[in-house]
Amino acid sequence: MTRLLGDFLFFFRRDLRIASTYRSPFILEIVEALFGAATLYYVARFVDSPQLRQALPQGNSYFAFSLVGFVFFDYLHAALNTFDQSLVEARDTGTLEPLLVTQVSLPTILIGSAIYPFVITTLRIGIYLAWGALLFGFPFRSADWLSVLVVLMAALLAFSGLGIFSSAYLLLFKRGNPSKWLILGISSVVGGVLFPVDILPDWLQFIARLNPVTYALAAMRAALLDGAAIPSIARPLLALLLFTAVLLPGSMLAFSWALRRTKITGTLSHR
Amino acid sequence: MLDPAITVVSLEKSFPPALTGWRAFLQPFASPTSPALRGVSFEVKQGESVALLGTNGAGKTTLLRILATLLLPSRGSASVAGFDPVLHPAAVRRQLGYHAGSDLGFYARLTGRENLRFFGRLNHLSDAFLRERILALAEQFELSGELDRQVRTLSSGTVQRLSLIRSLLHQPKVLLLDEPTRSLDAIAAADFRRFLKFEVLGRQGTSLLFASHTLNEIEFLADRVLILNEGSLVAFDSPDKLKSKASAVSLEEAFSRLTGHGVHTLEPSSS
Repeated sequence: MTRLLGDFLFFFRRDLRIASTYRSPFILEIVEALFGAATLYYVARFVDSPQLRQALPQGNSYFAFSLVGFVFFDYLHAALNTFDQSLVEARDTGTLEPLLVTQVSLPTILIGSAIYPFVITTLRIGIYLAWGALLFGFPFRSADWLSVLVVLMAALLAFSGLGIFSSAYLLLFKRGNPSKWLILGISSVVGGVLFPVDILPDWLQFIARLNPVTYALAAMRAALLDGAAIPSIARPLLALLLFTAVLLPGSMLAFSWALRRTKITGTLSHR
Repeated sequence: MLDPAITVVSLEKSFPPALTGWRAFLQPFASPTSPALRGVSFEVKQGESVALLGTNGAGKTTLLRILATLLLPSRGSASVAGFDPVLHPAAVRRQLGYHAGSDLGFYARLTGRENLRFFGRLNHLSDAFLRERILALAEQFELSGELDRQVRTLSSGTVQRLSLIRSLLHQPKVLLLDEPTRSLDAIAAADFRRFLKFEVLGRQGTSLLFASHTLNEIEFLADRVLILNEGSLVAFDSPDKLKSKASAVSLEEAFSRLTGHGVHTLEPSSS
């Protein structure tokens, strides 16, 4: 276990070191987050009304609701992209094979390479929320930070399963990823990102219940906007853990199968 | 009697044909029907150096990649330092140094030293050991002055030397090299051959299996030469015995007589 954590640390250090050789992206991200938060604020000002507030689960402003939805959708996006991108990058730079003849397994390489992007995405979320709080009155003070952290971890695990499924697809088919776009597409409509799922027709609400994003957002909004403690968000948390229990081992199996298949077909490092 | 360093028994490998049109979607599931290796059997003794000789497409790289755990054989078995690459890939990788003959495979924004440390740590080598080992190998490969430059600024010959150092970092018992001097200038290639012969083979007793098109390299380094032709083993003996078997005065002529290929199909500059 210590060795595995050590391996993850080497990947994190590698990515941090590579990122430190580029100067501007982080500053640009901070500026981009400001524009993003400002856009949501003015959209919210345009549509906000007492009726709308009543329809929102936490009874908060539409700005707070949509900002949480928007930034945590980013998390799903990162989970679906990160594993793919680390695989594509390793393949295109020719580092995949040298990595595969070391002592670490491909799942370790994949997860290790995902740590830095997840840390950066978490930071980006923090910056969005910080701009929201500093300039646009996002209600930061009511948050229960322990719950926020637990929801974040649970969401990360559940979303990672989806991301690893996506990289298994990439390993086999090399390019394009319909599963990724399907998950993102479905989640943007029935995940409760910019509007509550209660306003959807019944059949779409049923699909929403099969989507981990719905539970992650419900729990995150409750923890961040309502200050809900862990017992009060036990149901969405359990749902997320259930998704993790199915998706993570399932995606690892799919990935192992895809890897074995590419070692049979000789297409491991093909583009 | 010592166990052989490498044992290969009736090894076969076939690849699926490249599918086009709508059938390309089924490529990952296509049956392997194009043979690349046909029932190859041989042994490499401990401390022995064996060269793989054959035209392009003869199966040299496929054989090396199976032994390096990057490909799965279709039939037959192999053992590297006593471990089966299919059943115990991690154990094989612990004993193995592999250099794919490419000048890719490094993180361009990291320095040579940072790259070597990263790959060394993934082979679970300690920081202190790596510090010494990188210095010693860099000195032998005349790379000490280049170690702290970003890889993107190095010439392809320098990157290739870096790649050779990487394959030697963990003092492997078995070394697999695919055209190791392909991108090296004549002086660096000669230095490297001497280093392999006197340091790696002579002093450390490492077993070596290498593919090469350069016949003087093969005559200098190899105890025995394994000639492959269209996936089949044609001959396996010392350079002198191969010459006498084929009643030839040179290895070029022996190769030409044993395989029916003209020397020009091997490499124009190999004489």
